Amino acid sequence: MPRYGIAIDITKCIGCHSCRVACQNQNSLESNETFNWIKHRDRGRYPSYDKEFIPLQCNHCENAPCQRVCPTGATYTTKEGIVLVNPKTCVGCKYCMEACPYKMRIIDHRRGIVEKCRLCIELVRDGGTPACVTTCPTQVRLFGDLDDPKSAVSVFIAKTGSQPLRPDLGTIPKIFYKRS
Amino acid sequence: MNRSGISRRKFIIGSAVGGASLVASNYLNFDSWANSKNDSNDLKITPTLCDGCGNWCAIKVYTRGDRIWKAEGIPIAGNNHGRICAKGHALLHEVYNKDRIRSPLKRTGPNKFQPISWEQAYREIGEKVHEIIGKHGPQSLFLLQYPEGNASLCSRFMNALGSPNVFSHASTCFLPRNIGWWITTGSAKPEHDLEHTRFAVFLGRNIAAGLRLRQLSDLSKAKDRGARFVAIDPRFSELASYTHQWVQIRPGTDLALMLALGNTLIEENLYQKDYIDKYTVGFDELSQKFKDYTPDWAEQKTGVPKAVIRKLARDLAEYAPQSFVHRGYHGALGTQYKNSFQLVRAVACVNGLLGNFNQRGGMFDPPKVKLGKLDSQKFPKLPELEGVMVDGSGDVDRYPITPVGLGLTHSIPELAIAGKLKAGFVYHNNPLRTCPNPARVIEGYRKLDLLVSFDYVLSETASLAHYILPESYYLERDDVVHTNHCYDSHQVAIRQAVIKPLYDTKPMVVILIELAKSLGTGDYFNFTLDEYNRAALAPLGVTLERLKMEGVIDLGGKWEPGPPHFKTPSGKLEFVSSTLKDLNLPSAPEWEDPLVTPDESDRHSFRLIHGKQAHHTHAKTINQEYLKEISVLNDMTRVWIHPDKAKALGIKDGDCMTISNNVGKGRARALLTQGIHRDCVFLPSSYGVYSKKLHTAFGYGISYNDFLPTYFEPVLGHCMSNEIIVRVEKTPA
Repeated sequence: MPRYGIAIDITKCIGCHSCRVACQNQNSLESNETFNWIKHRDRGRYPSYDKEFIPLQCNHCENAPCQRVCPTGATYTTKEGIVLVNPKTCVGCKYCMEACPYKMRIIDHRRGIVEKCRLCIELVRDGGTPACVTTCPTQVRLFGDLDDPKSAVSVFIAKTGSQPLRPDLGTIPKIFYKRS
Repeated sequence: MNRSGISRRKFIIGSAVGGASLVASNYLNFDSWANSKNDSNDLKITPTLCDGCGNWCAIKVYTRGDRIWKAEGIPIAGNNHGRICAKGHALLHEVYNKDRIRSPLKRTGPNKFQPISWEQAYREIGEKVHEIIGKHGPQSLFLLQYPEGNASLCSRFMNALGSPNVFSHASTCFLPRNIGWWITTGSAKPEHDLEHTRFAVFLGRNIAAGLRLRQLSDLSKAKDRGARFVAIDPRFSELASYTHQWVQIRPGTDLALMLALGNTLIEENLYQKDYIDKYTVGFDELSQKFKDYTPDWAEQKTGVPKAVIRKLARDLAEYAPQSFVHRGYHGALGTQYKNSFQLVRAVACVNGLLGNFNQRGGMFDPPKVKLGKLDSQKFPKLPELEGVMVDGSGDVDRYPITPVGLGLTHSIPELAIAGKLKAGFVYHNNPLRTCPNPARVIEGYRKLDLLVSFDYVLSETASLAHYILPESYYLERDDVVHTNHCYDSHQVAIRQAVIKPLYDTKPMVVILIELAKSLGTGDYFNFTLDEYNRAALAPLGVTLERLKMEGVIDLGGKWEPGPPHFKTPSGKLEFVSSTLKDLNLPSAPEWEDPLVTPDESDRHSFRLIHGKQAHHTHAKTINQEYLKEISVLNDMTRVWIHPDKAKALGIKDGDCMTISNNVGKGRARALLTQGIHRDCVFLPSSYGVYSKKLHTAFGYGISYNDFLPTYFEPVLGHCMSNEIIVRVEKTPA
């Protein structure tokens, strides 16, 4: 069974937000609901001034704090390692939102539950890639099987030394970032 | 307290155990729900072309029942290679926007409209047009469009009435860029072999916001291969965050930098000698002209250190011909400065010195597909129109090299005030927001005896029109065959209806055909859209049915490097232009000052520059709520100002600033950033909607047009949109 993850090359992100709206459409979200964000950070003074755009989404942690605290077991991990929320058992208590150290969960006000990035499981199981990966004009995201050392994503992570966000938290995220 | 007998702690532990069984029992159900999304029986996929900007990216639109769901890019399409931007995704929702016009409208008073039938609208417009032609002649009619695939039909519509006055948005967007390249290389819009380039310079061109998906995709591949890129811009553009180096330049002085690059290439013998001998004219005269434009001189003008300029020239030369200076769009090389035309010529000449035309990793004239024409036996050919446009485009004594059919869009209000234009048709354009000096534009358009707008919402311009004939949204209409997105191959594509029209609207081509009948020019429109499309496809060996199935078809004939061919009078790349010499204009590029400069002694004085953001295309996308949400979330209507300059004015990050000059006044919040030149403030364009009928966008942000005087650049007549000096101050509490 594959263990899916994404490598994100920050040096290529232009902050165009294509991923955000592609995701919103794929998941039929409202305009103010989103599963991914782009934060930006600037530093330095000219001529060494620089600004980077940082795409953020659920990290699909292997040791997911959101899953541990869920009182109804609505948050679970699929056999492919994708962390999902079962809308039928989620009671909208928001414990998971508090527990997520990356703050990547949102409230679905229409259904009164908590929602998040699903890594487009319905596309992935059909052999496709998540909507945010497919649409990106600069190919910032690489999607694939982290357990296959020959997959493009594994090769990229090994070659560039990409790191997950806050590895010190022990959450073991499956989204990796190349910073420079 | 604990009435149920289970403490909260126990509940959590218990549910964690119980959770496992819950997951197990619901697991299959949820997965089948997830999987069912793609399998549902009423899912339909229709290939068509996006309408988020002028790229017309090829997309596949998914519908569930009669409701649009999502879109994916078509991988073979030359312009987008299977990618879609935020605008492309978000505009799918726009078809359901409550602000849409639902039937033909007649204006009965200020912002008051009465729904009428198509027949009544056609009849009344026909009568009025006849009356105006009778009184003032057909020269008093104009059509303004943002050219769509059906642009040639719009021209046919006007020419049949006897008017050559067909305008586009060129004079507020790209005019000098096209003319400069056309004069120098014979190709108005050369493309770049970005994928194979090794070093590229982007001068004021921000393909990461004035989005070109194919170019970005190629750029990404080139970056993986180790290519290097430099962005030269007064501000740290989105592209600058992608390139390896950002060179900050004083706004309006890009020309000095380009001249100095040329000077260095020549003085240091870094140019491609064989190529220049074989394929160019005027090298000696150019060398003579460039002698004075040393990097030391350019450092004074641009603020860019001479060492940086020399390094740029040497890097360009090292990788030549697999290097180039980007051909530009609006920024710097577009309609922004008085010296923009000279700048485009200089950029084209620097590329000429690099010998990169039609070379791998360089530039090329994109392949063009020749579409078929209507059979002139069955469908009468139009008589040739004589004369020049009313704005002086094509007139030897006024704007001799500004092409008829592009025209000067911002001259329309002036011509209306002067009584030379009496009636107008506006299609896919919103001059009241996108032209300089809105008060003057409103005054001009108000003077018209008849204004007909083909719009799908009550934009500023539509709100002023006497009649509004609503076009079906691009997702609801069949349209003409397109060849716009070929890029490096021969491709043909088509826009077609994804869903049935929600309201009483029609495709523009149908409106033109029907309206022509009531205007007495129906003989020239005795065809249907299908007949027109079949005639267009006839020489290509592609059936309309197949094209509608596939959306875009590659006809082969991919561009390959080889000896260059230039469609200029000399057949060579013209460092020195015979066309310009004949017109007594500078025949080789030379320095020209920008029209205005900020007052150095006044700390309130700034140049106002503007630029696109990646999620908006001016009036086209501004009323879209998914896109507005991006602006709101990231606070993107703020005006950029350098922290040191802001400090001198007592302005802190997020403070409200008052921006004013003798044209207009407005307020915006400050974004303090090191990523902007001290001489200028940067205002993101597209915002500042003032039509109350656009409920999402109304009153959000301001527009640079509110501060831009009505200028006409002397040679081409463009609007010089960055020649604005404003006074910036902290808004008193």
